[in-house]
Amino acid sequence: MPNIDRRDFLKLVGAGGVSVGAGFMLREANKDATEYLIPHVVAPEDFSSGLATWYNSVCSMCPAGCGISVRTREGLAKKIEGNPAHPVNQGGLCSLGQAGLQVLYNPDRLTGPLKQTSARGSGSFEQITWDEGLDQLGSRLDLLRAARRGNRVAMLTQGVRGHLAQLFDNFMRQLGSQRLLHYDFNHPHTLYAANQRFFGQDRLPYYDLHNTRMLLSFGADYLTNWISPVHHSLGFGESRQGSSNERGRFIQIEPRMSASGAAADEWLAAKPGTEGILALALANHIVSEGNYAGADRADWAVALTDYTPAKAAEQTGIPQSTITRLADSFIDIQPSLAIGGGAAANHSNGVDTLMAVNVLNYLAGNIGQEGGLLLNPEPTSVVSQQQQASYSTLLEFAEAARQGEIDVLILNGSNPVFTLPQASEFREALASIPLVVSLSSFLDETTAMADLILPSHTYLESWGDDFPEPGMGFPVGAVSQPVVSPLYNTRATGDIILALARQMNVGTALPWENMEECIKDGWRQIYERGDAQTLAQGFDSFWTSVLRAGVWGETAAGDSEFTLDRSVISNIGVQAPEFSGSEEDFPFILHPYLSPNFYDGRGANLPWMQERPDPMTSVVYGSWVEMNPSTAKELDLIEGDLVDIQSLHGTVRAPVYLYPAIMPNVVAMPIGQGHQEFGRYAKDRGVNPIEILSPEIEPITGQLASSATRVNIVPTGRRSKLVKTSGTSRDLGREIVQFADVNGVELSSAGSNSIPITEVTA
Amino acid sequence: MNVSIVPSLKKLRPVAMLVIVVLLGLVLGYWANAAFLPGTSPEQPIAFSHRIHAGENEIPCMYCHTQARLSPSAGVPSVSKCVGCHLEIATERPQIRRLMSYWDNQEPIPWVKVHDLPDFVHFTHKRHVLAEVECQTCHGPVETMDRIRLTSRAADGTAQANHPWEMGQCLSCHRENEVENGTDCWTCHK
Ligand code: SF4
Repeated sequence: MPNIDRRDFLKLVGAGGVSVGAGFMLREANKDATEYLIPHVVAPEDFSSGLATWYNSVCSMCPAGCGISVRTREGLAKKIEGNPAHPVNQGGLCSLGQAGLQVLYNPDRLTGPLKQTSARGSGSFEQITWDEGLDQLGSRLDLLRAARRGNRVAMLTQGVRGHLAQLFDNFMRQLGSQRLLHYDFNHPHTLYAANQRFFGQDRLPYYDLHNTRMLLSFGADYLTNWISPVHHSLGFGESRQGSSNERGRFIQIEPRMSASGAAADEWLAAKPGTEGILALALANHIVSEGNYAGADRADWAVALTDYTPAKAAEQTGIPQSTITRLADSFIDIQPSLAIGGGAAANHSNGVDTLMAVNVLNYLAGNIGQEGGLLLNPEPTSVVSQQQQASYSTLLEFAEAARQGEIDVLILNGSNPVFTLPQASEFREALASIPLVVSLSSFLDETTAMADLILPSHTYLESWGDDFPEPGMGFPVGAVSQPVVSPLYNTRATGDIILALARQMNVGTALPWENMEECIKDGWRQIYERGDAQTLAQGFDSFWTSVLRAGVWGETAAGDSEFTLDRSVISNIGVQAPEFSGSEEDFPFILHPYLSPNFYDGRGANLPWMQERPDPMTSVVYGSWVEMNPSTAKELDLIEGDLVDIQSLHGTVRAPVYLYPAIMPNVVAMPIGQGHQEFGRYAKDRGVNPIEILSPEIEPITGQLASSATRVNIVPTGRRSKLVKTSGTSRDLGREIVQFADVNGVELSSAGSNSIPITEVTA
Repeated sequence: MNVSIVPSLKKLRPVAMLVIVVLLGLVLGYWANAAFLPGTSPEQPIAFSHRIHAGENEIPCMYCHTQARLSPSAGVPSVSKCVGCHLEIATERPQIRRLMSYWDNQEPIPWVKVHDLPDFVHFTHKRHVLAEVECQTCHGPVETMDRIRLTSRAADGTAQANHPWEMGQCLSCHRENEVENGTDCWTCHK
């Protein structure tokens, strides 16, 4: 044992002590963090922890009104699926519907009432209580009502259906105001008008894609946004693969290939706005070939004389042989169906174009036929649909505001500052309204201009109901129930309206304590109008079964016989479309299309949708302008070059994307990005092409002719890399893609060892 | 000539001693912590005794852990459940007073979790309860514990205190009982 002196010994002891401590702490630091088991104070009745509970409700992300089933655990929504029992979506759900969870849990939600503290649009808000907020608005409304100046109050809401719409109606009537405006950018005014004129019905017919064998779509992107995309997608699948005897044929006519165009068997580009002329040329050929045998064929022959295939070939740019071939197959392949929408419906001749589409269905005998177009019977028990305000109506409203005729504007979910072109000067008109109140759940562009924000629950937290348009050949209703308790200090829109009504002492006309009662009361009336079998079960069990199923259908089908009013025939005709801007100064036609991700921009604050590659271009996050590679070559542009897109009414800047499936004189831009507000995920990302649209309208409906703007493309010399998930769209000699004539006759391939695909296509 | 490295090593001796002492110290400290403070029977916000409830009074486990037969998680009783009995029973005891103060404030009791499995294991109580596996098989003799202690099952089937559950233990039981698909990966990891 070596000698250690006392000093060294003490040193060692000290060091040993410290290291024991260090070892102790080392172990301590390596322990798992304490976890807790936090019980409920009072056990909830409606769930058990660890177990999923599913609630049926209604998707409110777009007007299609699909049914949803939401999986909840521990009282929180975890996943949204389609409700298999709902006839609209039959268990399907689109990506936007899936992303509804991110509306609920969005970190940018408004969590309580706010009051603007300095200049409008400055973004400085202060928190207030509900009592303060309701008082400020309610007392103002009460004064106006008492002074019989209720018409100085306006309400601008996103398209709302069901009993909430009735509640709005009732409330505004009590107030003495006629200014209740439902506005959605994408509302198909022209389709309603064309069907009204042709069929004499205010409701949309049911387009039976499921059973059709030949679909001719004039611009309607039915797989991503036309009326009821999930339902049409199901129909598309069914028509293609559902029956063993014949595979449905799909032909898409549009200047820029949409997702539906990509899925079609044949894609044709008629000159923008001439789709109606093309349809009438088809009609002309059908009649002149003697393929229409109706008693009124002589009238048709007269009405269609000007629309010979030869002439139409010139006007539309589609070869005459193609026109006659399409017309023949539209008759030969039965059942057939023609639909119209998208850009074709958004030209200055939109209604006429869609009338022409109806003519095709009429001549081919598709009306009332399975696989054609079924007229929906008059709903006997569901709530009537609301009329949507057109662009012109909104302009009139803005003018009234400028004239100082509006004292209070109540906004509900509608975001006109984003969805109206700058030329409408809507934002400026807001300045003339002394009190702007928003009931939105998010600080969108219009809500940012509000003086008072009384934020609503999201749809997953509120009671509501919906009666989807179009019906499924029978009226459908669905109840939307809260699937989670409200996360924040927000209130249901209906409850806000009811509270205001109480404050104005018009509670007797709106006697409900809350929206739940109002909905239940409404459904009691539906129940009471039911048949004996329904009545036999008693209301309570009826109500529970509706809630449980999430959907209810009226079985008694009404009369849907149709005879054409002869005066319609002589009024058929399609004028050439009008565009704003001269062809010399603005050589390109702007084709703005609804983004499959964001709808009309309302999905842009959802990170899932931002991350989802655009189905046609695979671009994520930004905006872009699509142009034909030949056009780009002429302008000496390549992908990623930043260009200014200039119209008579403004300029936006976006990078170029080379898109082979677009007409050379057309450039396309997706709608949805370019928010200046609307939360962290939407703000300052991309550009909004609506801004630069010309205020051209379709004269019959007053709808914005959003496809009627001409633009010029000005290179900036700068570049911006597009974020996209696909590499190059070119084959580059890799022989990945093989080409074959559609009839399987000729086979061409880039390489020698090609795969014989004639067998597949023959 | 007598050459030796010993004299030069001599200088290193104090350093070597130090290193040895420090290493020994670290090991000792680490071991002491692990042995005496295993954290396998943490103190709880209320000194609830399973011995009294499940042992002396023979209250069935699932009277309080109601969901064990329905759900992946056995569930901890709500505060109202405790209060349901203790409005009448043993109201003067300090621990019950503590319980009542949670109740009065309508606050949940932050029980410290003792038995835990990693997130990548999909364990479900329901399956095991339905297969009539005794709670004690996995949780040890709970009815004898005043304070819950982490317990698992040793290879010989006896309770193994202070030892967390490991996959081998699950598997040996699954094998013994010839559980259908009991040794497939995706039965537990999915
Ligand atoms: S189409 Fe999509 S967004 Fe629209 S209602 Fe259906 S699921 Fe919702």
